[in-house]
Amino acid sequence: MTDATPDRIDGVAAKGRLDRLRAGLKRRHAKETRFKWYGRLAIAAAMLFLAVLLVRIVEQGHTAFYTHTVTVPVYMDPARIDRAYPQGSNFEQLAAEQQLARMGIQDDAAGTRAAQMKRLFSSELKFVAADLVSKRSEVIGETVPLAVPLSDDADLYLKGEISKDTPEDQRRLTDQQIAWLDRMQTEGVIGSHFNTALFTNGDSTQPELAGVLGAVVGSALMLMVTALIAIPLGVGAAIWLEEFAPKNKLTDIIEVNINNLAAVPSIVYGLLGLALFINWMHLPRASPIVGGLVLALMALPTLVIATRSALKAVPPSIREAALAMGASKTQTVFSHVLPLAMPGVMTGAIISMAHALGETAPLLLIGMVSFVPGVPAAIDQPVGALPSLIYIWENASERAFHERTAAAIIVLLVFMIIMNAAAIILRRRFERRW
Amino acid sequence: MKFRIFRSAEDQTGAGPVDPTETPRMGGQVLPEVTPSKARAGAEPRLEDATPVSNATVVDSPPVGPIKIAARDVSVFYEGKQALYDVSLDIPDKTVTALIGPSGCGKSTFLRTMNRMNDTIAGAKVTGRIAMDDEDINDRSIDPVLLRARVGMVFQRPNPFPKSIYENVAYGPKIHGLVSSKAEMDDVVEKALKRAGLWEEVADRLQSSAMGLSGGQQQRLVIARAIAVNPEVILMDEPCSALDPIATARIEELIDELRERFCIVIVTHSMAQAARVSQRTAFFHMGRLVETGDTEDIFQNPRERRTLDYITGRFG
Repeated sequence: MTDATPDRIDGVAAKGRLDRLRAGLKRRHAKETRFKWYGRLAIAAAMLFLAVLLVRIVEQGHTAFYTHTVTVPVYMDPARIDRAYPQGSNFEQLAAEQQLARMGIQDDAAGTRAAQMKRLFSSELKFVAADLVSKRSEVIGETVPLAVPLSDDADLYLKGEISKDTPEDQRRLTDQQIAWLDRMQTEGVIGSHFNTALFTNGDSTQPELAGVLGAVVGSALMLMVTALIAIPLGVGAAIWLEEFAPKNKLTDIIEVNINNLAAVPSIVYGLLGLALFINWMHLPRASPIVGGLVLALMALPTLVIATRSALKAVPPSIREAALAMGASKTQTVFSHVLPLAMPGVMTGAIISMAHALGETAPLLLIGMVSFVPGVPAAIDQPVGALPSLIYIWENASERAFHERTAAAIIVLLVFMIIMNAAAIILRRRFERRW
Repeated sequence: MKFRIFRSAEDQTGAGPVDPTETPRMGGQVLPEVTPSKARAGAEPRLEDATPVSNATVVDSPPVGPIKIAARDVSVFYEGKQALYDVSLDIPDKTVTALIGPSGCGKSTFLRTMNRMNDTIAGAKVTGRIAMDDEDINDRSIDPVLLRARVGMVFQRPNPFPKSIYENVAYGPKIHGLVSSKAEMDDVVEKALKRAGLWEEVADRLQSSAMGLSGGQQQRLVIARAIAVNPEVILMDEPCSALDPIATARIEELIDELRERFCIVIVTHSMAQAARVSQRTAFFHMGRLVETGDTEDIFQNPRERRTLDYITGRFG
């Protein structure tokens, strides 16, 4: 209260006070309105960034979800197929020459046209044909239709990613190849369909054959190891620290260290994993067991902190009620405190698992960025992981890997959404609604 | 004998010690102006010699009947800070003993020594001897879990478990292994709820959440939970402070009924409540037991000046 408005409640002073209050009120409301708008702006900005990110990824990645296949009848010329060792036969050359002949194109003496035609087919043709011949040798001498993916560059052209307008020396397809592709497409030799290879294959050096299954399985195995190790250990440690541990110097030190560990950069955990699990314990490099252990170490502090705060949030009256009923400390914790803290514990577990799923840096150090073809099935075999696959593909020189990188990111995001949805359902189950 | 405000007229006109013309009451509170002069006269000369209160003042109004809990020189320290000073108090069985006093006077602290709930607070230390049926409850051989099965407790705020009404009442018998079959458990739950006067209100919704009950119902549920294990003593820490007057009246009636079976110790801020429900009263101040005696005596003839000042509302 200032001198201008005395404390007295006579008519004039009271009126002055009311005016001042009104003026102040206006300012206060204006402040509130401003703050609301700041909030809306912040949310809008965040949504915008998210939308840009998603649109960009989908825009880049959606083309990876379909692909082009060429179906060519191949006469299995007995003269050019090695019956004893079909893998050694040059099926691609055979198919290319026959395709040229069908299109009525004369090859030159050096065979450059056949070589160019050959480059439109995926190298898978060789394996498909060799597989067929070694399984059914009676096809030799017959004409069989072979359906194989187009090579990555041909596929990109048909998706519109390689333009005819680009000067010939600056694109990976010649004018001639482009003309053939156009002709083959109008003739119905080339068809487009869903890219199942992306989901059923492991990594490959050929973009048209590369898939994410190996990495998905690798990530899943790794996450399983992480969850099995980190969740019981982390929740157990948190329960002990919060409910049972005496409050002394030692537990203080432990607490400070856990908080510090949560802030340690993940690459340091990778170094630790390299030194501890690979160099000292001689666990197999790049295997899900090592990856899972490293990610578990990384997830532990977050998990402990989240669980402890969930336990702290349980009202002390529940503890007192249980203890006063003669429940032992353990009974109090496990039948009253922990069930109430469960939603919080689950959230902590989900966040740390999702974090572990997307972590790349520690994987670099334990060898998980190496090229791993095929799909792993055991936790002690080398595997890839989704984030490291994204990293590898992003660095690949073939342009076709770019769209696949975006596709792999979409797969990773879907993986996370599935995980989170599962966790939310689980949490709902645990959360007893009253 | 006690005086009540929620009791029937015949109760009040009965052989009560209080002549209404002599001690007018307003809301159960004894008004300072009309406190019997003999009490004041009795208190005045003690003013000089009675501080600090020695245990000697405590003994001259001993309770009648068997003693359930005998506390001798009980002191409590919280992280080195003393909260309770040498309290010696006899608590008779099948009686309601009220612990009164201003906030922070140590009455709740003392209450919590009787079921060793202070053990659960880090840095709390209890010295002295508390004997229940001549057995030192602080003895190493006494398991606090077992002790708390014998000494139930009701807290200030109703704190039912966030489970069903049935599960709340069944919890004690279950963890202590007191029943062997579902039918027996149903019986125990029903009896406890009936004794707590809650059965009629919840009989048709035993499986619904205890959190859906009103505050007063929750507090009666908590009492049912405590008596389901058939304890010997029930401690109540301001059981009505979060309740409205009607719910309070029901709890007080219930306390009066339970007195026939249990030894009850109740901490209360309400003078009127102490007067209504208790037969014995102990007045605490600054961590010390100032005065104890029959409730009637404490409220009409307090020997200590501080007791008089407190019960007449001059401080606290």
